[in-house]
Amino acid sequence: MFAQNRRDFLKIATATPFIPGSLGAMGELTLCCEDKSIRSMCEMCSSRCPMEARVVNGKVVALQGNAYDKAMGTSLCARGVAGISQLYDEQRLTQPLIRVGKRGENKWRVVSLEEALEYIATKLNHLKKTYGARSVIFSSKTGESYDMLRSFAYAFGSPNVFSHWSSCPIAIESAFEHTFGETMHRDFENANYILNFGHNLFEGLDIPLTKAMARFASNPSKKLIVFDPRFSLMASKANEWYPIKAGSDLAFVLALLHVWIRDGKYDKNFVQHYSVGFDKLEKALKESTPQWQERLTGIEASVVERIADEVYQAAPRCIIDWGHKATTSPAEYQRSRAILIANILMGNVEKRGGIYFPKSAKRINAISFDEMIPTLNEAYPRMFPNEERLDGAGQHGSYVFVPKEHGVLQAIPEAILSQKPYAIKGWFLTRHNPLITLAHPQKMKEAIQNLEFIVVNDIYLSDTAMMADVVLPEATYLERDEGIRDQSDKVPCYTMRNCVIPSLYGTKSALEILRSLAQKLGVDKNYKWDTMAKLRVHQAKGDDAFLEVLLRRGVATFGIPELFLRESKDVERFVEHYPKSKALLCKEGCFSHFFHTLQTPSGKVEIFCEMVEKIFEGYGLPCAVDMDVTQGYPYVLTSGKSAIHTNGHTHNIPYLHQLMSDNPIWMHPQTAKAHGLKMGDAFYVENGIAKEKATVFITEGIRPDTLFAYMGFGRDAPSLKRAHGKGLNPSKLLSLRSAPVCGSMITNVGVKITKV
Amino acid sequence: MGKAYRLLYDENACIGCQACSVACRVEHGVPEDFFRLQVRMELKGVFPRLGMSYERMACVMCEDAPCVSVCPTFASFQDKDGLVHIDERVCITCKYCILACPYHARFVNPLKNVVEKCDFCYESRVSKALLPVCVSICPTEALMFGDMNERDSLVYETSHKEALIFPKAHLKTKPKVAFLPKRKGMKS
Amino acid sequence: MSPVWGSMAQYEMVHWSWAIAVYLFLAGLSSGSIMVALLVKWNRHERSNSSIWDAMIKSGAVVAPLSILLGLLLLVVDLGRPLSFYWLLIRYNITSVMSLGVLFLLLYTPIVMVFMLLVFERSVMKYTFLSPLIALIQAVKELHSYAKIIEYFLFVTALCISSYTGFLLSALYAIPLWNSPILPILFITSSISLGIAVNILIGLLFFKSTINEESIKYLLVLDLRVILTELPLLALLFIGMFYAGAESANAAKAALSQGFWAGLFWFGVIGVGLCLPLLTVMIALKSHVYRISYVVINSMVVIVGVLILRYYIVYAGQIYLG
Repeated sequence: MFAQNRRDFLKIATATPFIPGSLGAMGELTLCCEDKSIRSMCEMCSSRCPMEARVVNGKVVALQGNAYDKAMGTSLCARGVAGISQLYDEQRLTQPLIRVGKRGENKWRVVSLEEALEYIATKLNHLKKTYGARSVIFSSKTGESYDMLRSFAYAFGSPNVFSHWSSCPIAIESAFEHTFGETMHRDFENANYILNFGHNLFEGLDIPLTKAMARFASNPSKKLIVFDPRFSLMASKANEWYPIKAGSDLAFVLALLHVWIRDGKYDKNFVQHYSVGFDKLEKALKESTPQWQERLTGIEASVVERIADEVYQAAPRCIIDWGHKATTSPAEYQRSRAILIANILMGNVEKRGGIYFPKSAKRINAISFDEMIPTLNEAYPRMFPNEERLDGAGQHGSYVFVPKEHGVLQAIPEAILSQKPYAIKGWFLTRHNPLITLAHPQKMKEAIQNLEFIVVNDIYLSDTAMMADVVLPEATYLERDEGIRDQSDKVPCYTMRNCVIPSLYGTKSALEILRSLAQKLGVDKNYKWDTMAKLRVHQAKGDDAFLEVLLRRGVATFGIPELFLRESKDVERFVEHYPKSKALLCKEGCFSHFFHTLQTPSGKVEIFCEMVEKIFEGYGLPCAVDMDVTQGYPYVLTSGKSAIHTNGHTHNIPYLHQLMSDNPIWMHPQTAKAHGLKMGDAFYVENGIAKEKATVFITEGIRPDTLFAYMGFGRDAPSLKRAHGKGLNPSKLLSLRSAPVCGSMITNVGVKITKV
Repeated sequence: MGKAYRLLYDENACIGCQACSVACRVEHGVPEDFFRLQVRMELKGVFPRLGMSYERMACVMCEDAPCVSVCPTFASFQDKDGLVHIDERVCITCKYCILACPYHARFVNPLKNVVEKCDFCYESRVSKALLPVCVSICPTEALMFGDMNERDSLVYETSHKEALIFPKAHLKTKPKVAFLPKRKGMKS
Repeated sequence: MSPVWGSMAQYEMVHWSWAIAVYLFLAGLSSGSIMVALLVKWNRHERSNSSIWDAMIKSGAVVAPLSILLGLLLLVVDLGRPLSFYWLLIRYNITSVMSLGVLFLLLYTPIVMVFMLLVFERSVMKYTFLSPLIALIQAVKELHSYAKIIEYFLFVTALCISSYTGFLLSALYAIPLWNSPILPILFITSSISLGIAVNILIGLLFFKSTINEESIKYLLVLDLRVILTELPLLALLFIGMFYAGAESANAAKAALSQGFWAGLFWFGVIGVGLCLPLLTVMIALKSHVYRISYVVINSMVVIVGVLILRYYIVYAGQIYLG
């Protein structure tokens, strides 16, 4: 597909917006006889799977995995494949809209993109002048658009940037930060024993991880134990399933730690040399016996004893899996920390079949004393404005440990309504639908009625977009170029989203929109680029060979052998390849020096976290707190992902909607009988926050005291003609209370059942 | 020599994600609310002793195909490799074959008004040495496809290593699709 | 509904609907009434005036061709692509009962029409616009030395028609209720019963002048025997299913006990279709008097009963798959 030589490429890449394969520079010649494959990156969920699109005569005819990524092969999930269905959906937004009716009334005036951007610039300037730049909130799902939005917001002068983190992975991310100083990955492929606490990779798919997990689960010689109040698809593939009481994972893990410590069954060498605070842990867990946890989890003490022993026998080729975001209790931070510490005790860190630090280019370059792998220039400069955040995230107060770049979304409604600490008047959202994905959308809706100006950039006229003053139609991921992304895992890896076909309706990407807004507002002096081509060249430091690989293949790896720092065989092979790295060898023949220079305050793995303990007394070590999720109600409503839909995003996409258009609430037959409900009957789920109508799905696959809903349903936006009015949005029953330390939204909630 | 195609479905690896079903829809333009292929999951047992069965629902390419023998106009026919196809030109849509199929693999395409079913992607892929799209797309590698005449093919190796189940074997239709039954969890 | 995604609707569809049930009824009616007419002709006619056709024969001669033509029309219209029906006439798959059916129909339909012309020769003569047919009638009459053979042949093709409608269904082993050798026999017997009922009814209504009480009595006795055969046949059909594996047994259980169609079976097929006629026939015969009301009621319930049987078999077969 790529005829021109490198010199040409650079000329083109720096001269015109670059669309690989069908680019303007190659003229119409290419367009008439096309049957080409373009490698890019999926965005039907957040897993960013490398994928490949086949385009015949300007029409995308098929999507599949990008086999240049070995962990992908040609695999893609239902949502990924349905990207075509989204691209060609006639219910997509195609033109910018400006509100003409009342807020939320769904009355619009169609405008040109230029007019919309001018309008936005004027309004943003007005807000800045009247209330200060900090009066405008910026939020996005993490990813490139978030990186750009954050950069834009800071340049504009607002500290109030929010990602989706607080409604998703923030607990585990905080636990990583405080324990290891950075995010860890899991080597499912080589593990022999996995304890799974609701990390449902078979319904929340991430192809490389899901594939590895499926291989693991289907291997009769490996053992998978699943803890979940619901018989999930993951549970159906396990050797053993324990219907643990919702919210009580922490108790089980604490008992597990207790048994290991009691019996001296843990990796003493690792704990002694590379971690701090074990002695404190030992003391703290005296009481958390297997018998103690029985009452909380509903799992017999003997099970804890047996599993503790089995995991220890399998160590270090074992993983106590934390999940991306298991549905949560207020104890989410403690739960995540306890799980990480369980891994530490099993000594599986930087071991095959255990957990590991991602091997980025920078890290490998540092170990090999070589600059052989390209690193990226920062494309989205960010100078945090010297302002107080509305939630105090990362600054002071109860959210001091929440990264100030992610914030706590749950704090927004109160801040708007109370005007404290200061007036909030505007909100710019891209790839973000908080009225579906965030707790208590009723209150959020009430709060945003008080805003003066809302901009939403989205593919559909979503529930949140409905409330906007300006709606920008976003180009789908198949219609846009983006920059280079570091996606290093076991080896350094970069990916790049390449435009598959020219934008169908001339819609732009968030990157382009924000870049031109920055220019209109005169806050763009730090950007070293103004087109996607220049952005890429800047990121790649002009390395055209590197860029060309990314253009052709969508993914770039560098033939680096897999390296687990504490596997002497790996280290030996690495040293063979890169003799200079010999200098770093420890006496066991590993790269253990690394564990003295972690980005934690002590430089070591922190079992005890002094920094946290100082501010949140009792939280420096995992302990049995905050596990109640019932709040006195008889049932717990839990929620989760399906393999068909993504959060608040895909429910209106034709191919996916017809596979799953509704989310009747899972209920045990006993419970249904007690309330006189038959399959498909309507009933109310009710708590102090809301009373919502739902239909019942009676199944043996759930605890009698638990209810379950697939998330993302219950859409109110009439423009989502297919999804509109179907199912229950479980967020409506959630409180805006956040979990201590990490600021995570709490998605397990107590409810009662009342008859219609 | 003709090909002895075989498609293996590993219930152990399948997670019912329906990627195969959507890919099939895209590949063949399967009309809304109809399926050439989907995976059915069924919960069995009583809490907390539960199991989930996974089953591929699609044409199994019978060697002794009831749809072919009942078709009055030879619209359903077998090619040289024994794959069952539908000749849309001569299909009168009497639906006799739909009723004859013990696997519920067939339906009437409401747009074209002819009977339709999985054809192993023969026309668009297999004849061009590509894998059927479901096999190619499967996120968990639960599907294998190949020629049993080739000794080094994955299907040959797997077929000789594993105990296979042929769907509704008692009907003696001799399917080219075989299942690898569940090893873990409650037997279904 | 299953705990997960997708749709079962496609697998639960009824593909052959009322049109097929009615066609099966009409084909049974056609073959039944011609068989009954022939039986009367052979067994009863010599004794009466041979120059005037018995009402039963007239009814058969008019009902048989009309019902089969109506049935065929329905069959073609019910195809997903009615205009492509000609492929049925061009391509024949001898393993397909449907193809065999087409062959039988191609033999049966013309003969049964000619039979009608012969029976109604005088009526044909009356209308000038039917004159082209006279030549045909004359030509056929030339063959009168073969009459008996042709009649036998017609009887055999009629038997083929009524049994093929059963084989059409019983050939499908995917459908437990259909996949039984009993079904064709059941269809033959019920079509004879139907033939008797309709011939008597039509005879009473339109050909009263040529009614022969003896023939009717002969037929009522025959009907009694036929109905008494049908009951054990139905029992055998289901008993057979109970011994044909779990799937069939489940299907049989469901078909007899679940939902609308089970109700229809007990009330419609057994009650209206078999018990009621049994009762009326016995009363009619026992009283040794020819009572028109009994006979008419008997005929009506038989007709309704047979129609319900076809409906039940067609729908319950597709719905209760075990």
